[in-house]
Amino acid sequence: MMHRIILSASVILGILGILVAENPTYVPDATWHAPDTAAARLNPLATRPGAVRGGKKLFLRNCAECHGQDGTGMAKKHSANFYLSVVQEQSDGALFWKITNGNADRGMPSFSKLPELERWQLVLYLRMLNQQPLSSTR
Amino acid sequence: MLKRWIIPLVLCMPAAAFAQESPYFVTYDHHMEEPGNLEIEISSSTDIPRAGQRFYFAPWTEFEYGVTARWTAEVYLEGQSTWRDSTLFTGWRIENRFRALKREHWINPVLYLEYENINEADLIQKEIEGGAPDIRSPNSALRGAKDHELETKLILSSDVHDWNVAGNFIAAKNFSQDEGVEFGYSVGFSHPLATLASGSNCRFCRENFSAGAEAYGGLGSTLNFGLNDTAHYVAPVAAWLVSDNMTLRVSPGFGLTRQSSSMLFRFGLSYEIQGVGDRLARLFKGRP
Repeated sequence: MMHRIILSASVILGILGILVAENPTYVPDATWHAPDTAAARLNPLATRPGAVRGGKKLFLRNCAECHGQDGTGMAKKHSANFYLSVVQEQSDGALFWKITNGNADRGMPSFSKLPELERWQLVLYLRMLNQQPLSSTR
Repeated sequence: MLKRWIIPLVLCMPAAAFAQESPYFVTYDHHMEEPGNLEIEISSSTDIPRAGQRFYFAPWTEFEYGVTARWTAEVYLEGQSTWRDSTLFTGWRIENRFRALKREHWINPVLYLEYENINEADLIQKEIEGGAPDIRSPNSALRGAKDHELETKLILSSDVHDWNVAGNFIAAKNFSQDEGVEFGYSVGFSHPLATLASGSNCRFCRENFSAGAEAYGGLGSTLNFGLNDTAHYVAPVAAWLVSDNMTLRVSPGFGLTRQSSSMLFRFGLSYEIQGVGDRLARLFKGRP
């Protein structure tokens, strides 16, 4: 009897999981701010522009699924457009913090599984997006 | 009828997704499956037995789905084949992992809840709790004994300077037999072999490899707490990102007690499919 109850609960949990799996409608999260100390951090790869090529590779692997191959965001995912000033005006440290922590409430996972330097490479690549025409990122 | 064919096709449609997995087989860290992604993994445990123990090969298939950024659910299908004995399906399990805190901290707790419906012949040893698994009796004597077990884990995991350190504390209650509450542990650490990504799409460069070690074993039960008659292993672990969506993991485990196998080889190949949740939602809601 007990195992049937547990089995039923597990199945209900699984179905519930699939139903709530969708991302909510994107609205910039006003509460998603990097702490001051994190925002003040400088990109250790800022003087190594060659590292941006690795950043692009990492972006296509990890970010393009939700933010699009060109970083302009995807309407159906309600994901951010990295060309927008609301993104580009943030400090390197703030972007690094957001990549590291994610924003679970809005469906963005944490990417702390990537080594620190690789996360900084992603920041480097996001900066580069703003310095080139859209077509060259495709 | 159409959906009967479409669903498997949609689920099996390959799509690039970053599949770099932690190299652990037993220890869980705090990194969850990405929301909407499905990872399919085929793994196995093979032992080198001590005198009186059986030589077996125990494969399992694992379906891991990222429900949300903080919730990952998994289903396992398990079997085993014993030398000069038989091959059988040994059961299934459903597990859920919930990340307790929204942000990264020094220690990141994850709560784990699992239901197992297996028999005593199950030997994948995805974790070890209580005493040692029976690797001496024939399958015919073990397959009839069912285990309906509820298992919980407290997963504590930390990323420090690109090292991952994780510890799992296990408590399990088998509702089919009076074994009390059984306990177990696993601990592990790992590190990528390179921390800077190259610009090329190389497959054998160091950034695609990570390595470490884990140790795991049983701690007895409320009826017999302690290390008596328990199995313990220490195992180097390694993972290789074969392609953007495929990871290969290997681990040779060394048995530390008489109740452990002499060695326990583990092998796993995982394949990640992105956006499965979106595809299913479109399918059932009829959205474009």
